[in-house]
Amino acid sequence: MSQKVIQYIGRTTDFRGNTLWELVANLPNWGVGRMLIRNMFQRYPEPCFMRILKVQAVDEKPGEERKVRVTVEKTWRGVTQPKPVEIYSTSYKADYELVPVEEEQKFLKNTKKVGEVILPNKIEFPPLLREYIREETGESNPLMNVHFKKTYNKQARIAAEGEQPTVQLGMSLSKPPEVSAKLYEGLL
Amino acid sequence: MLRASCQLLSQPGVSAVKTGSTNFALEFVRWRRKPRWLPVAKSKKFRVPERKKQTEEERVELLRLHNIYKTQLRSVRQYLREETVRQQETSTIDHIVFTPEQEEAAFQRCLEENAAWNATIAAEREVRLKREREEKKAYVQERLEAALIREEERKEQANEKVRREKELAKTFISRENLDVAIETALANPVDYNFSIDLGGNIYRGRGTLPGGSEPPAEAQQQQKQAASN
Repeated sequence: MSQKVIQYIGRTTDFRGNTLWELVANLPNWGVGRMLIRNMFQRYPEPCFMRILKVQAVDEKPGEERKVRVTVEKTWRGVTQPKPVEIYSTSYKADYELVPVEEEQKFLKNTKKVGEVILPNKIEFPPLLREYIREETGESNPLMNVHFKKTYNKQARIAAEGEQPTVQLGMSLSKPPEVSAKLYEGLL
Repeated sequence: MLRASCQLLSQPGVSAVKTGSTNFALEFVRWRRKPRWLPVAKSKKFRVPERKKQTEEERVELLRLHNIYKTQLRSVRQYLREETVRQQETSTIDHIVFTPEQEEAAFQRCLEENAAWNATIAAEREVRLKREREEKKAYVQERLEAALIREEERKEQANEKVRREKELAKTFISRENLDVAIETALANPVDYNFSIDLGGNIYRGRGTLPGGSEPPAEAQQQQKQAASN
């Protein structure tokens, strides 16, 4: 008897795993204290995982994947967020996976951090606006503040006084990274 | 686009007419594509759209460019927002701006004007209140006088009544003069009877004959008896 081969038909997906309800519903004490991962976020080398703190069941709605309200402690790209996060609206995504207790150490021992990203404090205006401002104020090289709202998810920061930014945000096409230098061959 | 396709479609149609074949080519192409509200065509039902893979270099470069673009756009929007607020706060196009001294002066002028109005109204009110007070006083005085007169009249009437009663009381029959009164009443019988003739003349007395003559003695006797009865 030949081995059974599963052949998938239809659209492919990047998700891999189960919906959150499928995972928690079967666990003793709703899996409080267990570690979860989103497979989508495993593309980052830094550890991304969540630990279940609280589970609230939500009624099933006909014709929809069942959702569940789960409060987790989230570690995102090596940084544990100070406040617990509630997962509800994304709980239907079949992308969650439960980490076996013996494999949790793999995530906990991963101490990689995101490289420091420092945004410049001020950048130049887009060309037309710059011309207008030059005409109005007479300033030869007007600069505007960079808009950046710091959240727990963001690990970049704005350069302090006298600090050298690591990212160039100029209006010109700045130097591409090593990986994609090939795209600009003969152009730059 | 639509017109071009119609032309394209009609051209073979013309030739088809010329060649005498069917007019299938004149079929009207109204829509370039299936309207959104129609279900998936039968022929496309099981088609699986291909998901194109980006190469790593493309992905990295596009991500970088997008990040830069979005940050720049956010920064520009923030700049414009701040600029608008700044302009609204500082510009005097749609409103007049005063210095603090001017504002104070305007306020003082308003106060003075208000005080002047108040004074005029107060003077008017004084006059009116005075007039009203006097009117009230006169009215009260009038009413008091009228009341006095009324009271006096009432007393006068009462006195009059008392006097009349006292007058009358003299003729009352009391225990002392009861006998005398009875005697008098018996002595002077009152005859209220009367007769009347066709001429309307009244003849007082029970027995009075027409013409005013005394009735006969028997009649008088009978009359007396009747009266005593």
